[in-house]
Amino acid sequence: MGTLRGLGPLTVANIKSYYRDRSALFWTLAFPVIFVVLFGSIFSSSGPSTFNIGWVDQDNSAASAQLRQGFASVNLIVLKDGTLDDALSQMRNGSLDAVIVVPAGLGAALSADGGTTTAAAAPFQLTVYTDPSRSTQSSTIEQVVAQVVNGINQSLSGKPPALAIATQTVQTENISSAAYFVPSILAMALMQLGIFAAIPLTGQREKLILKRLGATPLSRGTLVASNVLMRLLIAVVQTVIIVGIGAALFGVEIVGSPWLVAGLVVLGAVTFLSIGYLIASFARTEDTANTLASVVQFPLMFLSGIFFPIAFMPQWLQPVAAFLPLTYLGDALRQTMVGGSAYAPLWFDMVVLAGWLIATYLISARYFRWQ
Amino acid sequence: MTAAPAVISVADLHKAYGEVHAVNGVSFQVGKGEVFGLLGPNGAGKTTTVEILEGLNTSDSGQVRVLGIDPGRDPGQLKERIGVQLQTAALYPNLTVAELIALFGSFYARPRPTADLIKQFDLEERQHGLSKELSGGQRQRLSVALAMVNDPELIFLDEPTTGLDPQARRSLWDQIDGLRREGRTVVMTTHYMEEAEQLCDRVAIMDHGHILEMGTVNEVVTSHFKERTIGFATRPEVTDERLRGLHAVTSVAHDVDETLVYTTDVPATISDLLRLADELGVTGLDLSVRRPTLEDVFLALTGRALRD
Repeated sequence: MGTLRGLGPLTVANIKSYYRDRSALFWTLAFPVIFVVLFGSIFSSSGPSTFNIGWVDQDNSAASAQLRQGFASVNLIVLKDGTLDDALSQMRNGSLDAVIVVPAGLGAALSADGGTTTAAAAPFQLTVYTDPSRSTQSSTIEQVVAQVVNGINQSLSGKPPALAIATQTVQTENISSAAYFVPSILAMALMQLGIFAAIPLTGQREKLILKRLGATPLSRGTLVASNVLMRLLIAVVQTVIIVGIGAALFGVEIVGSPWLVAGLVVLGAVTFLSIGYLIASFARTEDTANTLASVVQFPLMFLSGIFFPIAFMPQWLQPVAAFLPLTYLGDALRQTMVGGSAYAPLWFDMVVLAGWLIATYLISARYFRWQ
Repeated sequence: MTAAPAVISVADLHKAYGEVHAVNGVSFQVGKGEVFGLLGPNGAGKTTTVEILEGLNTSDSGQVRVLGIDPGRDPGQLKERIGVQLQTAALYPNLTVAELIALFGSFYARPRPTADLIKQFDLEERQHGLSKELSGGQRQRLSVALAMVNDPELIFLDEPTTGLDPQARRSLWDQIDGLRREGRTVVMTTHYMEEAEQLCDRVAIMDHGHILEMGTVNEVVTSHFKERTIGFATRPEVTDERLRGLHAVTSVAHDVDETLVYTTDVPATISDLLRLADELGVTGLDLSVRRPTLEDVFLALTGRALRD
């Protein structure tokens, strides 16, 4: 025993088998691609695009026209003129993101003031309608409106601002939605690649293929090694495809070390493959393996910060996320690939994954049956 | 028994799964170049016995030597020298015939050329077809071909023709007969008595983990039956009691829908039987007379037909 004879041919045979199984090909290659494209498109459209804002001018003065120009000059904003009722109904049906109302009396108030605002006089009120259910978008709009109003206030008062803000972006803060999704979906794909390996594995045992191989001099170590090799190869292909699509369609660049990313991909793939073997250790039939793999996959998919950060989850669910291995693979990949903010330190992510790998390996080694 | 040196020797083999004694004290030897058949119904313990010999299963107790090797101790060395065909074992469905033969060859130190095996087992036409698309007979031939990739001295065939149509069965029998002519030792299990009669030099009849009878087919049959068998379509009016009273009848048995009367004097029994039928008003008995077969032996030994 201990010989690796047959490793190469068996790995090639596994790859051929896999390649000829169209449904496996779909689930491991096409499915993650669809996810990246879908989620990337849905969520990045709410990012740096423009806002349609209804402009309701009830004053119709020179001052309100000037104010309108102030808003119109902001790149992010497209103004649509109309009455308040019109604008609000358009906002309800989704064609407007917000509505700004200039009440009658603006021109009068400004000219009465003599062109200067004083601390004594109450400031003139603009009304902004936003949708509280779209909090990110609303707060962005409010900020933009506040900035424009500020600028106009300054120009009206003629005083230079006492305090200015210089904005600087730091890569680790505020990553775009696509940048969040690309590593997350890679993590999810690696999870599925490993966990769903339980199905062919159980099938090969159920159909006595493993038993038949056991009647040859092929060692079990070689058999497992060949399976791991094949899955790692698929993991590399998945990584290249997902990262490639992320870069091509959404401009998501890898900021970290590619070697570290590759190392994490291997660690993640092997850890979840070990979980796949664990499932195959306890499933007697292919159908049971399928059910078990799905049961395991769903909480991992939705409670591991794949689709939204764990901080957005209900408090009582957060300890569950802290237990799941996918949380740490996703976190580690986001940190190294796009510089996402850390859920846990990178070394801790790796320790947790290694812990899962060792624990599930030991249980599988104890309970996995070959026939 | 046989003068040739024993390729397999088994003494007092036991294997239990919980309460069930799958193999309960089995002993036999197989000589070089022999085709040895283990016969019996499903659950008789044939497969467990063979799997212990192949190093795929462990025994609870007993002495086993295969090609001089203890399979429980050094299965790796043994597997290099034996060929194994498993009952109903599937193959990778998405690999072709040629790919599978080459793949299995890669597991051995000295594989036979893939093309030779494809030719020998008559698989040229389907060599580039996926294994899942093969017919039952082609799949079994491939399965035996895979057992031959390492040019083994000893081949185990587990129920090789189960589920095949008669034509495919005969074609596989020819292949197995070919293995014998090449001087290889073959151990096969089957529950087809006809198959054993065709192929096996010696047989052992197993039931409930025991060997009930062992020897050449002729020895096994004649040790039980000096008689001939008269068979006829079972009729309720013709009771066993009346039949036992007929001239020269030694025993009566029932197969699926046939009554079997064993006799030491065929003409005397038949004339008595016809008189009885006449008396009972029974016609169309569909009489047949034959030498007893292994089927009859099994029926006599266990009171059950083999193929249920």
